[in-house]
Amino acid sequence: MADTRTLDHGTTPLRYARGWHCLGLASTFSDGKPHAINGFGTKLVVWQDSKGELNVLDGYCRHMGGDLTQGEVKGDNIACPFHDWRWGGDGKCKEIPYARRVPLRARTQRYETAVVNGQLLIWNDPEGSAADRDILPPELPDVLTDKYTPWSWHTKEINGSHCRELIDNVADMAHFYYVHFAFPTSFRNIFEGHTATQFMESTGRPDKTTGGYSDANSTLKSVATYYGPSYMINWLTVDYKGFVTEVILINCHIPTGPDSFTLQYGISVQKPEGLDDKTVDYIAERYTESFGEGFLQDVHIWENKVAVQNPLLCEEDGPVYQLRRWYEQFYTDVADIKPEMTDRFEFEVDTTKANEYWHAEVAENLAKRAADDPETVSH
Amino acid sequence: MPSFVPTNAETLEEQRRYTQARLVEVECLDCLAKVSVKKNSEHHTSIQWSAEAVAACPELCRRTRSDSRDGDRGCPRLAASIEAAVAGGALSVGAEDGY
Ligand code: FES
Ligand SMILES: [Fe+2]
Repeated sequence: MADTRTLDHGTTPLRYARGWHCLGLASTFSDGKPHAINGFGTKLVVWQDSKGELNVLDGYCRHMGGDLTQGEVKGDNIACPFHDWRWGGDGKCKEIPYARRVPLRARTQRYETAVVNGQLLIWNDPEGSAADRDILPPELPDVLTDKYTPWSWHTKEINGSHCRELIDNVADMAHFYYVHFAFPTSFRNIFEGHTATQFMESTGRPDKTTGGYSDANSTLKSVATYYGPSYMINWLTVDYKGFVTEVILINCHIPTGPDSFTLQYGISVQKPEGLDDKTVDYIAERYTESFGEGFLQDVHIWENKVAVQNPLLCEEDGPVYQLRRWYEQFYTDVADIKPEMTDRFEFEVDTTKANEYWHAEVAENLAKRAADDPETVSH
Repeated sequence: MPSFVPTNAETLEEQRRYTQARLVEVECLDCLAKVSVKKNSEHHTSIQWSAEAVAACPELCRRTRSDSRDGDRGCPRLAASIEAAVAGGALSVGAEDGY
């Protein structure tokens, strides 16, 4: 039938996004051993040298392909387990213990690094440009001091979907109700330059009890900004029965293949005044757990959905097409970036109607539950 | 360089529909900014800026780029200009089959 709508799956890009990508907490790499991280279709080796600098190279030795992540740090270099070629953080082979001289062409892929908010970031660019340090994510004041709990950091491998699925969430108002069990009461976006921001306010659904957004006793104000293609800072203000907590959530990922990526997220909670450390740790753990659950709710959807280039939107939906247009800049040669990819775009959705329908549905769910189990009414 | 290439020509039309259809030019009544606006309802608003328009808006230029945290609400003068455009009938409110 000609008027049946079909899904256009499109083709996924061959390249990986240009920009800063976070590999994890810097402290996990500082033990003088080589570390393996899957990324950009290969394996990377990360190690700390004697000056305390973190270095990142392609994990496979340019001699005969040995796995550098199984090698050893010798001096400032990473030594290959196969024939002991020694590679420096600048990507050059510094020494071949059994050879008179090192071939001039002995250079491998290196990644420029930065440490921000206690996390190791690397610059990826298929065009090979120098790292753009002006667009690093901002340092968070007070995080990593006594005022905040240390990062609680988690990693999750996602298979079967391109990382753009994760980005789409920025413009997705309605999924907060269905996937995260919250009423989004206010929802706005601003895309500009290399940043894309979601401003969201929500309250939990009283008919559900799992996940970071679903507590009916709490309201949430969230500002979440992607700084480039893969590193998001999410500032959350949670008001639980008048008890207000500031939570910072980092949501970042590294693409590992054409349809897989590693999701990483970290949580740091502002320590409420007047509480002892044990209570504070307990609160931080609860938030970590519940926002972690929130991610898993998304993951389940991503792993089972298909890619779609031509989403069909209703008028209550967020600006998915404009968001993808913004995201496209990271997959385009710098010379080919079009103004509309980076021009400022502001959007605010009307959540009134949607919330009317949703509240009616929740009321029905609660009534049904009360009828099934009269016991719960008295509680 | 191909990235996310649609495999169906209709998809390009969809992209145009959702990003450009029904955009109406609104001039700020205060500064020289000209933006494109679409309103699906009283409250539901899309504002497409250009680099020139941002440069013309003193409100946006004043703000630091990295400071997205503190309630970047857009320019209040432009918001008032958009309301005026609606009141004057230059900008219609309502969606067309979801866009
Ligand atoms: S393969 Fe690495 S030293 Fe030979
Ligand atoms: Fe989500």
